Amino acid sequence: MADTEALIDELGGLALFADLPRPELAAVAHTFEEEWYADGQRILREGLSGTGFYVVLEGDVAVRITGEERARLHRGAFFGEGAILLGEPPGADVVAAGRVRVVNLAGPVFREFLMRHPDVMYRMLQEQTRRLRSANRWSR
Amino acid sequence: MATMVLTLDDKAAALGRVALFDGLERASLLPIADAATEVAFGDGDALVIQGQVGTGLFIVVSGAVRIVLSGEDVARLGPGDYLGELAVIDRQPRSASAFAVGDTTCLALASWDFFRRVDADPALAHALLRGLALRIRSLSEHHHH
Repeated sequence: MADTEALIDELGGLALFADLPRPELAAVAHTFEEEWYADGQRILREGLSGTGFYVVLEGDVAVRITGEERARLHRGAFFGEGAILLGEPPGADVVAAGRVRVVNLAGPVFREFLMRHPDVMYRMLQEQTRRLRSANRWSR
Repeated sequence: MATMVLTLDDKAAALGRVALFDGLERASLLPIADAATEVAFGDGDALVIQGQVGTGLFIVVSGAVRIVLSGEDVARLGPGDYLGELAVIDRQPRSASAFAVGDTTCLALASWDFFRRVDADPALAHALLRGLALRIRSLSEHHHH
């Protein structure tokens, strides 16, 4: 089992959890599960139920829609929130590109987690905004 | 130009029909309704101009709005649609222009009023997160088709 103090430090270094007071970071470290994936292993499956919210701690993941790679996410990036928020199956496959370590929160506890940590929600809003801006399109 | 005068209840009801605020209780909607200002636009009036720094979110109550991106019409919004939610969050310049089509009434929410509410009410932040997730998903789907 990884040292909890080390995990707290590690989480505090990610943009998503930056500025959180240490007791709150400790709560995050206790709420999330740490997981490892081997190269090529699917973390989320497009169109399949069963969701979770993931934050990348080590390694890269590839986001694929119908087999085509759309994005590559690195340390500090998060994924899986869309399916939970919308109550729909994941819109993409997320596949480990090399060995990957993540922290994961199951779908049903995600909302409760966010409601208890509005600062994290605000960070997520900023990131979503950035993604929409970088798409540089108008779509509704 | 016909002017509507919306009561607090009217405004809350109009907000309740907006996808961005889907699932919010009346208790969350009322303070936003209170902070929202009714704004009337005539045909062709600009709501926002691409490249300018925006300070608010618009919700269409009646009439229509056309969205123009670099000179090209890309979307038309009607009652219940909204625009400006990205500028509210990141205060970056507007990504597109928007013009009223015919007499149009909107509810306008200043960024600072809106964010005061988001800070005070995690349910509102959660609704916003969901609204943006919906747009991100529709983008990747449109991309695909």
